[in-house]
Amino acid sequence: MEEKEKRAGELIIANKELTFQNKEKEKRAAELIIANKELAFQNVEKEKRAAELVIANKELAFQNEEKEKRAAELIIANKELIFQNEEKEKRAAELIIANKELAFQNEEKEKRAAELIIANKELIFQNGEKEKRSAELIIANKELIFQNGEKEKRSAELIIANKELESFTYISSHDLQEPLRKIQTFSTRLIADESQNLSDKAKEYVLRMQDAANRMQSLITDLLAYSRTTTSERKFETTNLNTIIEAVVNDFKETIAANHATIEVAEICDARIIPFQFRQLMHNLIGNALKFSHPDRPPHIIIKSRNIKRSKTRDQKYLPEKEYCHITVTDNGLGFEPQYKDHIFEIFKRLHDQEKIAGTGIGLTIAKKIVENHNGIITATGELNKGSTFDIYIPST
Amino acid sequence: MKNIFLADDDTDDRMFFEDALKKVTIPTHLTLANDGLELMSNLETVIEPPPPDVIFLDLNMPRKNGFQCLEEIRNTSKLKDIPIVIFSTTTNDDAVNKTYQHGANHYICKPPSFELLVKAIETVLTLEMWQKPQPPKEKFVLVIS
Repeated sequence: MEEKEKRAGELIIANKELTFQNKEKEKRAAELIIANKELAFQNVEKEKRAAELVIANKELAFQNEEKEKRAAELIIANKELIFQNEEKEKRAAELIIANKELAFQNEEKEKRAAELIIANKELIFQNGEKEKRSAELIIANKELIFQNGEKEKRSAELIIANKELESFTYISSHDLQEPLRKIQTFSTRLIADESQNLSDKAKEYVLRMQDAANRMQSLITDLLAYSRTTTSERKFETTNLNTIIEAVVNDFKETIAANHATIEVAEICDARIIPFQFRQLMHNLIGNALKFSHPDRPPHIIIKSRNIKRSKTRDQKYLPEKEYCHITVTDNGLGFEPQYKDHIFEIFKRLHDQEKIAGTGIGLTIAKKIVENHNGIITATGELNKGSTFDIYIPST
Repeated sequence: MKNIFLADDDTDDRMFFEDALKKVTIPTHLTLANDGLELMSNLETVIEPPPPDVIFLDLNMPRKNGFQCLEEIRNTSKLKDIPIVIFSTTTNDDAVNKTYQHGANHYICKPPSFELLVKAIETVLTLEMWQKPQPPKEKFVLVIS
C-alpha cells in the first residue's frame, strides 16, 4: 500500500493538472468560438470581396483583350513606322547627295557670277558704242528719208516726162506723117497724070521717091508702135498662151496659105502676161518666121511653151526668179550667122536687103522690149540657111 | 449734079480733093471752105434750096474745128439731116468714135495716094446717092493705108 498512495497522490496531481488543462481548454474553446465567428464574418466579407474580384477580373480580362488588340495594332503601326523611317533614311541619304550637288553648283554659279560681272562691264561698254551707232543711224535715216523724198520727186518727174514723151512721140509722128502723105500723094499724081510729060528717067526718079517715102512711112509707124510698148500701161493677166497664139496664126492665115506654111503649136501652158503686148510679140516672131523663109522649102514653124525651174535654162543666163515659162519659136527659114545673134535685136538693124525682103528692122526690137516689160529674157540662135530659134523666158509670178 | 461742100484748112488737101472729085464719074459741084467758120457761113447763105447733098469735113481746123461744126450742123433744123463725111488724118479709135457720137455718117482717113482718094470719094458718094440722108447710125470707116 505505499505504492497505491504514491499512485493516488500522483493521480490527484494529474487530476488537478487535467482539471487545470480542461479549464484552459474551455477558455481556449470559448476563444475559438469567438474566433470562429470572427472568421465566419470575415469569410462572408471575403466572399463579397471575391465576387467583386470576379467582376473586376472579368473587367480586367476584357480590358486585357482590348489592350492586346491595341498592342497588335501598335505592332503593325510600328512596322509601318520602321518602314517609313527606312524610307526617310534613304531620302536623307539622297538629300545629302543632292546637297553636295547643290553645293557644287553654287560654286559654279559663283564662278559664273564673277564672269557675268566682267561680261556686264563689257556690255555697258558696248551699249555705249551702240548708242553712238544709234545716233549715227538716226542721222543716216534722216538722210535716207530726204533721199527717198528726192526719189519720189524724180519718180513723179519721170512719170510726167514719160507722158510728155508719149504725147510728143504721138504728135511728132502724126505731124511727120502729114508732109509725108503729101509727098506720097503728089508722086502718085505725077505718075498718074503727068507720065506723058515725064521722061523714063524722071519716072524712075519719082518711083524711087515714092519708095523712100513709103519706107519713111513704115519707119514712123514702127517707131510709134515701139514707143507704145515702152510707155503703155502694163496690166498682167494669167492667160492661156494658146488663145493668143491661135489668134495670131489666124491673122496670118492668108500668108500661111499662100506660102504653104505649116505651124505646129505644142505643149502650150498658161503664163502671167500683158495680153495685148504678148500678142504683138508673137505677131512679130511668127511674122518674121514667115517673112524670112527659105526659098527652097515651105516654112515650118514650131511654137512650144512649158514651165521650167531655173536650173534648166539654156545659155546659163542668170535668172533671179524661181520658175519660168519658157517659150520657143523655131523656124526652118534663112537663119542667120551666130555672130549676129545680138545685132538683130537692135533698132532698125537688118541682115537683109530692103529690096529683097521688106521691113524696117524694128520687129525684134519691139519683141525684146515687150519681153523686158515682162521682166524676162529673149535670145536668138540661128544657123545660116538652116533656120532660127527664139527662146523667151518669162517669170511665172 | 451733086452739091458737095468741103471744109479743110490745108491747101494741098483742098487741091487733092478738088482734083479727085473731077475724076469721080458722078457729076458734082464743089463749094470750098478754108475752115469751120467759112463752112458755117457758106451753109447759111445756101440755106435756101438746094441744100448740100454731102458735107466733107476736116477735123483739125483753126477758128472752128470739125467737132464744133458737126455739133452746130446737127443742132440746126435745116441742116441736121445732111450726110456728113469726116475727112481727116486721125486713125485714133477714140477720135473716130467721137465723130460718130457727134453725128457723122462716114469717116474717110486721108489716104497717101491719089488713086485711093478718088476711090474713097467715089465709094462714099455712091452710097449717098442711093440712100436718103440717114440720122447718124452707120459705122463705116474707110481707112486706107
